[in-house]
Amino acid sequence: MAVTGSIERAPLDDAADSILAARAADGDLRAFEVLVRRHGPLMRAYATRILGSNSDSDDVVQETFITAWEQLPELQDPAAMKAWLMRITSRKAIDRIRARKQDQPLGEWDAPAPESESPHQRAEAASQRERLTRALATLSEAQRQCWTLREIGGHSYAEIAEELDVPPSTVRGLLARARQRLMQEMEEWR
Amino acid sequence: MAMTSPHEDDANQDLIEQLSDLIDRGESPSDDFLNKAPENRIAFNALTRFRSMAQNILDDDVSAEPDRDDSWVAGILTNIHREARAGRSIPVSHSSPKADLSLTEGAVRGLIRSAGDAVAGTFIGRCRLEGDVTTLGSPVTVNVEASVFWGERMPQTAQQLRDAITTSLLHHTELNIVAVNVTITDVHLRRNPKDEGSPAQDG
Repeated sequence: MAVTGSIERAPLDDAADSILAARAADGDLRAFEVLVRRHGPLMRAYATRILGSNSDSDDVVQETFITAWEQLPELQDPAAMKAWLMRITSRKAIDRIRARKQDQPLGEWDAPAPESESPHQRAEAASQRERLTRALATLSEAQRQCWTLREIGGHSYAEIAEELDVPPSTVRGLLARARQRLMQEMEEWR
Repeated sequence: MAMTSPHEDDANQDLIEQLSDLIDRGESPSDDFLNKAPENRIAFNALTRFRSMAQNILDDDVSAEPDRDDSWVAGILTNIHREARAGRSIPVSHSSPKADLSLTEGAVRGLIRSAGDAVAGTFIGRCRLEGDVTTLGSPVTVNVEASVFWGERMPQTAQQLRDAITTSLLHHTELNIVAVNVTITDVHLRRNPKDEGSPAQDG
């Protein structure tokens, strides 16, 4: 029977993504659960950033992992689990936005953002993260999505254009305006 | 920022597009360009700062989240289709000719994983049964990938894994196992729960 050495049997939590992904692809639910717990919170945060609120992010995370379970056997590089999950998450989040906005033209999608906050409100935001979050809230939805997919998700212009179903030139323009707006909003703490 | 005229705004956007293209290609603007006008350097610094902030923002978002109960995990696990991984059907002999017993390939892989995991400091990864498992008695080779704990002696560990898997399959199945091949594909460390970026992660 199995030989047990001096080292205690390690819980599956210690296993690398590549091992867990391979096991899950073979049908090991326990391994998949470790992956869900390990990456779920980050996928939720990413979905929330793309969606602009957390109201649908749990649903997006659930759809993401259900799709991941189904597609795991085809995953070429099991070590690239996080990047792969992020791609599925962004796709699911965008699907949701698309469904939500089906009847709205692009013009409205890129509607002018609310007025920027007063310097006083801005000073209250203590951390860099809060400041960036507030600055992002002043972008139009289209600008925020492009910025999030580019800067957080690391997608190329072409990929973003495909995901959002707009020409790459539109993505380039939206990104430039997003970045310009962020610069203006965050000017004060340079 | 002071109010800018529409014209200045356009110029600014052009500058940002130019710089964005450079940064997105992983390039840096020349010193000449940065020194030419203060706006150039200001814009470049801001854009690179946003990028580095963006890299950390999701981790910061996660840390800022209050602890949640486990219902979200349960919601995912109950919604996935486990049957999809059953694999081939492996016949099991029985004294009665009327009985039709079988075992799924997925169940055998599960056996192999538990046998392997019982060997200290190892995890079984991918596991494949090569051969015609659907015909009783035909030769079958087991190929498994494994991760071993950092510092373990690999040849000994691989031998222990082979023994454990062979014994388990002999006990629980009628498969005619001709070889058990173990490939060590990963080395893992004990994971600190707060350190998601430990070397083991990228394996």
